Amino acid sequence: METKKILLTEDEMPRQWYNILADIKLNPPLGPDGNPVNPEALAAVFPMNLIEQEVSTERWIDIPEEVLKVYSIWRPSPLVRALALEKALDTPAKIYFNNESLSPPGSHKPNTAVPQAYYNKISGVKKITTETGAGQWGSALSFACSQFGLECKIFMVRISFDQKPYRKSMMAVWGGNCVASPSNETKAGRDALERDPDTPGSLGIAISEAIEAAVSDETGQTRYALGSVLNHVLLHQTIVGLETKKKMEKIGQYPDVIIGCAGGGSNFSGLALPFVSDKLNGKQIDIYPVEPSACPTITRAPFVYDHGDTAAYTPLLPMHSLGHNFIPAPIHAGGLRYHGMAPIVSQLVSEGIMEAKAVTQLEAYKAGIIVARTEGIIPAPETNHALACVIDEAKKAKEEGKEKVILFNWSGHGLLDLVAYDDYFSGKMKDYILSDEEMLKSEEVFANYPKPALLKSR
Amino acid sequence: MDTSKDNLERRCPRLGGPVSFRYCRLYGDNSLPCWKILDCWWETFDVSTYLKHNLPEDQFNTIVNSKPKPKITSIIDLIEQAKKRNG
Repeated sequence: METKKILLTEDEMPRQWYNILADIKLNPPLGPDGNPVNPEALAAVFPMNLIEQEVSTERWIDIPEEVLKVYSIWRPSPLVRALALEKALDTPAKIYFNNESLSPPGSHKPNTAVPQAYYNKISGVKKITTETGAGQWGSALSFACSQFGLECKIFMVRISFDQKPYRKSMMAVWGGNCVASPSNETKAGRDALERDPDTPGSLGIAISEAIEAAVSDETGQTRYALGSVLNHVLLHQTIVGLETKKKMEKIGQYPDVIIGCAGGGSNFSGLALPFVSDKLNGKQIDIYPVEPSACPTITRAPFVYDHGDTAAYTPLLPMHSLGHNFIPAPIHAGGLRYHGMAPIVSQLVSEGIMEAKAVTQLEAYKAGIIVARTEGIIPAPETNHALACVIDEAKKAKEEGKEKVILFNWSGHGLLDLVAYDDYFSGKMKDYILSDEEMLKSEEVFANYPKPALLKSR
Repeated sequence: MDTSKDNLERRCPRLGGPVSFRYCRLYGDNSLPCWKILDCWWETFDVSTYLKHNLPEDQFNTIVNSKPKPKITSIIDLIEQAKKRNG
């Protein structure tokens, strides 16, 4: 029998995260005055040790022993050879995936929730707040806080709170205090309830409540946590790629192609960034962040400074963007719906170190079902985008007669998102691809914006 | 206000569950429709024309021109707002 799973022992888990900011140059986020944002601006909601990681250029950052202990609940995660998928596709390619769906909440998110809880704990923080929509991040943070004896407060949008009682139950099991937003616990919530006592809430109000709950705690013992986009989040996720490198070394393999779904960038970056380091040092690897073709923010859009809002009073961030007037098409993959990618991923795509790929949602679900029926795991909607690209690459390898090694990240399971599969089966989903004409029209909005320096890391 | 579309339902990609068109129309930020309303509903019906006929021009322009904020910029913005609210 061929080996299906490649495992590491707990002793073999990486002891450091890889910080790519040591190896690349990144345009800083700019404020309304055109000057870089001061990291201190985040001090009201993040502890200083995490802010230091956010701006650190140290290549290797030690993973605290306490974090490793918690990681060991589900890490090292298995590297799996997708033998059944290979057979179904009749491809000469060897397909491997790192399975992040085995964490307690079922996704890659605790890879950063755990260290964030730890760093808050050692900073004297007693309570962490966050917002959640469907409850995935709230679940991951509740789990992490339970491991370090921290209080976790989750503001869950009222309409989801009522629709998804099992999510608040999951958080409650881990000790998370999930309340419906708007709540009476913040001024933002009370204002919203005063305007409309029967409001079903919104993600905007929930975020405002979570931030306010952190900012307004006069004891200074409450902070806020975020599960995507920021540099320190991507840093923590590199445990995935570092582990995967070790597992591949065990079997004498090295990937020719690396694929991950790219939303805010944390899941994709977790796998890819340690391999980017190799590529910067001369390795030949194709690295593909995958996003929906309906919203190709990094596939086709220009690399520009982009305001965070139409009023243009928020800081400017260098990132791939479709412009203020781009209207993305509907797609069932919540994690992939960012207007802008994590600045680190934008920079690497800009430099040609990564090449963004786009797939339609129908291709994504079709791929997800093929893989579920071969490898057995039901993928999260976001993971399906990576799978569509994997299948394309495997077919390409067959056409070229090449025994390529394809590696991707299985970011999470889809057991709590089955309604999206129902929509696919019922034919409700549709595809939309932005035309060149629409793209050009969208780009016009950037005419009066400063262009970032095209920094090259090598 | 034409409410004939209010009972249409779809999955909200931000919340991960079903919402009615009424929810999208009424519960965006700053008393506006959700900034994704065009994104989410244009395949179901002519939501652009619907909103153009049912919203004041400035609100319609805001929705057409809106887009999500990058998280880090949102956070900095929200910190300032929270500080102001709490004096």
